[in-house]
Amino acid sequence: MRFNEKELICLSRQPSEMAAELGMRGPKKGDVVKKRLVKLVVNFLFYFRTDEEEPIGALLLEQCRVEREDTQIFSIAFLDEAERKYLFECDSEEQCKDWIDSIIKASYEFMRRNLIFYRTEIHRLTGKDPLEQYGISDETRFQGNSGSQLVARDTSSL
Amino acid sequence: MKLNERSVAHYATCDSPPDKTGFLFKKGERNTAYHRRWFILKGNMFFYFEERESREPIGVIVLEGCTVELCESAEEFAFAIKFDCAKARVYKLAAESQTAMESWVKALSRASFDYMRLVVKELERQLAEVQDAAGAGGQQGRPKPSRRNQVARSRSGASSSSSSASCLSSSASAPSMTAVYSAQKSLQDEVQLISGSFKENGVTWSKPPAASANRSVDTAPSCVTWDVCTDSGVAAGCGGDGGRAPPVPPRRLGASLESPVSPDTCCFSKLHDWYGREVEELRAQWLQSQ
Repeated sequence: MRFNEKELICLSRQPSEMAAELGMRGPKKGDVVKKRLVKLVVNFLFYFRTDEEEPIGALLLEQCRVEREDTQIFSIAFLDEAERKYLFECDSEEQCKDWIDSIIKASYEFMRRNLIFYRTEIHRLTGKDPLEQYGISDETRFQGNSGSQLVARDTSSL
Repeated sequence: MKLNERSVAHYATCDSPPDKTGFLFKKGERNTAYHRRWFILKGNMFFYFEERESREPIGVIVLEGCTVELCESAEEFAFAIKFDCAKARVYKLAAESQTAMESWVKALSRASFDYMRLVVKELERQLAEVQDAAGAGGQQGRPKPSRRNQVARSRSGASSSSSSASCLSSSASAPSMTAVYSAQKSLQDEVQLISGSFKENGVTWSKPPAASANRSVDTAPSCVTWDVCTDSGVAAGCGGDGGRAPPVPPRRLGASLESPVSPDTCCFSKLHDWYGREVEELRAQWLQSQ
């Protein structure tokens, strides 16, 4: 699958609030732990060889599960291949907690759910749709669920 | 550079509803002909397929650090996705009608993670404002938060030139929250999000009046469960807690300055004015070219 690699590499150079050297192990049998500079930018987790400018790779953090594996170890697995886990070894329990927290919140879909929650709550409390003043009430990306069911969005382009 | 391609492709076609789908003509990279492709926009990922029925995308365009604009083209209803970085490529696309083109341009302009984050923060601020106003004598009981990574300050008629600087200010001298929330301001006022320290992901929020009589302030980390799946809904650990607001994602340091969309993207209403103007300009340009 093609992707805009150059632009993604450029994205990896943006400052992030979450970057650290962690021990990283790939999901394949036989993968060993390697020291990597791991950097969180928007919904991507980039990993670099220490002191290298270009990342070795990137993980899109959508449809993934982040789990604590041990006091200082967390894993990321993607829902389409849940047995394959990327492992990350931290220096402390605190750091491990911080990373798990950050990665969970670094998903676009997570933010979307937040937004729907806030929008619904504000509407419930005020009777007004907070997005109306910005003219974006009808944007499909802001459409909510009634209850826990996701309402199918209009996907036609015309 | 490696990418978890299989999982990325899975995101395109999995259960979650896409934000927009449709046919567009895409100009080839080497071959300059336009090819008709089926596009799926989901979040900040713009996938394209050979056919509508195809199971795997041919490719994906990550929509961060880009602008969407009309472009000069022999092709009708053409627009382009331009990236900010050096030697970046330009993706040229064409829709099948004026309406479709405008619709796609709007949707793609609003697809970035940063944009979503901005909207979320704005609504979070509004909700806190509403809850505070609705609470009975709530201000007295509200402790000055020690771990706060954002402060909302309203300024009517303020110029935008200072907004970038103050948005990134990490000074701890935030105005008193009670002063902010008791100010009578309409939601139309210009709001600036001033970021505090980026170290914490914690955000303070309070329970809605319905859920509790006393204002309680909590920070996000207490809400995290160790194995919550990102797919399983809002902050699973807090779910049954009487409607607590979920914590917001961490903010990118300097994000507002870097965004190519507008230098003032830290200011939500300005960003929207900008988008509105952009669509108007596109329309005007198109009309002129007729």
